[in-house]
Amino acid sequence: MITVNHIVKDFKNVDGTINHVLCDVSTEVDAGEKIVIVGPSGSGKSTFLRCLNLLERPTGGQIIFDGVDITAPKTDINLIRRRMGMVFQNFNLFNNLTIMKNLTLAPTKLGIMTEEEAKEKALGLLKRVGLVDKSDVYPASLSGGQKQRIAIVRSLCMNPEVMLFDEPTSALDPEMVGEVLDVMRQLAEEGMTMVVVTHEMGFAREVGTRVLFMADGIIMEENTPQEFFAAPKTQRLQDFLSKVL
Amino acid sequence: MQNLEQMITAAFITEDRWKLYLSGLGVTLEVAFFAGIIGLILGTVLALMKLSVRQNGKPGVLSMISTIYVDIIRGTPSVLQLLIMWFIVMKSSNNGVLVASISFGLNSAAYVSEIVRGGILAVDKGQTEAGRSLGLTSAMTMRYIILPQALKNIIPPLGNEFITLLKETAIVGYVSLNDLTRAANLVQSRTYEAFMPLIGAAIIYFVVIKILTILLGRLERRLRKSDNR
Repeated sequence: MITVNHIVKDFKNVDGTINHVLCDVSTEVDAGEKIVIVGPSGSGKSTFLRCLNLLERPTGGQIIFDGVDITAPKTDINLIRRRMGMVFQNFNLFNNLTIMKNLTLAPTKLGIMTEEEAKEKALGLLKRVGLVDKSDVYPASLSGGQKQRIAIVRSLCMNPEVMLFDEPTSALDPEMVGEVLDVMRQLAEEGMTMVVVTHEMGFAREVGTRVLFMADGIIMEENTPQEFFAAPKTQRLQDFLSKVL
Repeated sequence: MQNLEQMITAAFITEDRWKLYLSGLGVTLEVAFFAGIIGLILGTVLALMKLSVRQNGKPGVLSMISTIYVDIIRGTPSVLQLLIMWFIVMKSSNNGVLVASISFGLNSAAYVSEIVRGGILAVDKGQTEAGRSLGLTSAMTMRYIILPQALKNIIPPLGNEFITLLKETAIVGYVSLNDLTRAANLVQSRTYEAFMPLIGAAIIYFVVIKILTILLGRLERRLRKSDNR
């Protein structure tokens, strides 16, 4: 579904030196896979995820989504992004809009659904995450866990083929992590293709079909969750796991 | 006491002089209003131009044009801009209100553009990213998500700018427009008495601006609705 060919991402520092955030990363995401990316902070895992829908444009390499090279300059990235949902660490709900408007804005303004269709879809999804009663309030009145569940629903309203999660539980109070992970687990069970950057090792072990360990801008190790946690090969991963588990 | 009454009578009542202030206030408000509209529209356009980037993320020609415009306007006195507009650029026009409105509008746009730009930049970058990640175009994201939120940041300094603009129109006497300040001047030259006309005009400016401030405060509170828990 997504093929990543040797992508590189460099950031220029203020002093003119160059920061190699991603150095030659290649992987493949097949339909139905749940890929979990873990690694120390600064390892490039968020940047990698944000490259998948071009929120960061890779400095080099290629990303093929469903046969289309999305890194090619003439590709209309907006059409591709409609098919890829993204959930952010800081939720990023639209603060000026009610929850219902948050959910229906993109489908209606892009002409994918009528107002009624979008509302119906939104209500159905809100019911599933238990937040129907919040449809007319503004994001400011919600808890972090509620915001993140709404953010997931907002992406789902577009009927995406793949969902990207950028540390979806890192900004939450501990008691709210569970409710968000539950929604993600449910989504995984339904067969959604997912790429998740997270620090939740339990989630990685339980839901992931493949776990990637990123460090120093490369994928240092990848394996099935069982092997990944039971028999880490590299020293870096062994160190990392000993710190987080 | 009798003296005070005489002064007031001479400054406002005799020969229906209050009508001078009133029509002067009319001119002041007219110029400020039209200049304000020109400033708001052009200022927003300039701000969007300045924020526009090419696909490689570097500022393009539009951005440079906007920067140069703001530089020139901010770097020259508004009186001179008005005189240049009146005596050179729009020499053929006899419509002082029109010329003054355009001149002040062009001037105000430079300041408004910086206010709008600041307001847009103050909106969390995550809002843009969330909009774009859903497949919304940058124009849609700007219109439905960023600008409505930027408006809340923009209103207070924009009100400030409009108040400055309204007071700055006091220089339109330079191009022989009879605004409120000039009306006070005219009366003073008739009565040889400075106190009442000048203080009177000052009070009128003050009251108008006080009313504006109250209205702006209300608008601001309404726009903050979505912040309420």
